[in-house]
Amino acid sequence: MPKSPGEKDRTLDAPTVIGAARVQPGARQTAKPSVLQQIGGPGAPRDHRLDLDEMIVGRSVQVHISIDSGLISRRHIMLRRSGPEYACEDLDSSNGMYLNGVKVHSATLREGDTLQIGDVVFVFREGR
Amino acid sequence: MSIFVRFWGTRGSIPTPGHKTRTFGGNTSCVELRIDESLFICDGGTGLRELGVELGSKNQQGLEVHMFFSHTHWDHIQGFPFFLPAYAKQNSLIVYDVGKDDDRVHRLLKGQMQTDYFPVNFSELGAKIRSAFLQFEPQLIDGVRVAAFEQAHPGRSFAYSFEKNGTKIVYATDNELDATLLNRDESLRDRRLLRQIPEAFVRFVAGADLLIADGQYTDEEYPGKVGWGHARAKTAVDLAVQAKVKQCAIFHHDPMHADELVDHMIQDCRERAAEFGSDVLIFGAREGLTLKL
Repeated sequence: MPKSPGEKDRTLDAPTVIGAARVQPGARQTAKPSVLQQIGGPGAPRDHRLDLDEMIVGRSVQVHISIDSGLISRRHIMLRRSGPEYACEDLDSSNGMYLNGVKVHSATLREGDTLQIGDVVFVFREGR
Repeated sequence: MSIFVRFWGTRGSIPTPGHKTRTFGGNTSCVELRIDESLFICDGGTGLRELGVELGSKNQQGLEVHMFFSHTHWDHIQGFPFFLPAYAKQNSLIVYDVGKDDDRVHRLLKGQMQTDYFPVNFSELGAKIRSAFLQFEPQLIDGVRVAAFEQAHPGRSFAYSFEKNGTKIVYATDNELDATLLNRDESLRDRRLLRQIPEAFVRFVAGADLLIADGQYTDEEYPGKVGWGHARAKTAVDLAVQAKVKQCAIFHHDPMHADELVDHMIQDCRERAAEFGSDVLIFGAREGLTLKL
């Protein structure tokens, strides 16, 4: 449609569109979620999809990721989402948590990190 | 007793945000030691800003913060003007200098907040900020035995050790260990040789549960960086081996080093420790990582 005299070229108003695209509510739900690939311990191999803001891993059947291993605590670690990232935290477990072979209390997880609790080994796959 | 060590900034020289440094982090030097109820901070690089935000979010009243600076180069002080607890009247910051009556750190923290550099003047900070002086002999601070050691770095720098109930942490960054080696020339010719660290520094570090050590350069890079005040990562390993430490965090990552390269360096460092028959656990200091010792 031809522009009327004095009408602004609408394509020059693009910043509002860019802004909207960057903050789409609900975009996280449609993105590929982060995953804990379990590569060792009871039940491996299998994938645990991370889709909540807080998820607990342990031996108890009442936690989000329950693994039947006598070497892990009932509530062993917590995974917590912050923005696009997940952090892991040891919940004062008996045997601790190892990130890439180092005993840690907490850390932000990155693509390819190896996380071990007792005889259970995970590889973290970062969502997109 | 509980001891937590958290890395808030691990990068050397200049902040390097971006996808290439996402794993080890782009903020400059800042390490938090939480020893029982006491808070010790080593260096005020840009990582200090986020530590301040975290402390602010906990809404703690009347914080007392013991601040130790390896030295006053930019990458160790730039976070200070953005450290929120410094703005709250109920807080106390104790800034330590090494040596009698030399308040250089305090003066330079003030200096970087002059109007030419920063919009808020040091005198406008609300917290009570005072200088304290460490001597080279260990002294007790909140029941923690703290000692300092002068290192090899242009303009001076200091390592600090913190010890309580048999648990020892050594923070030793910005230290050109290679310049101090007893077999310096031989070790440059033959990189496989164990690099002999002066005995006094080995004693200072000896038996640490955690050594946080400058390991900025690869062996290949170092000849072009002699005199810049930083160590080869493998020399930090040799220190860890000779001082029989349990864990060694390679720290002060070079701003030109992407995560993949730091990963490779750490792997090489682990292999070197194994070659010398040491079971020291070597890892790359990583922003956001917390250890419980």
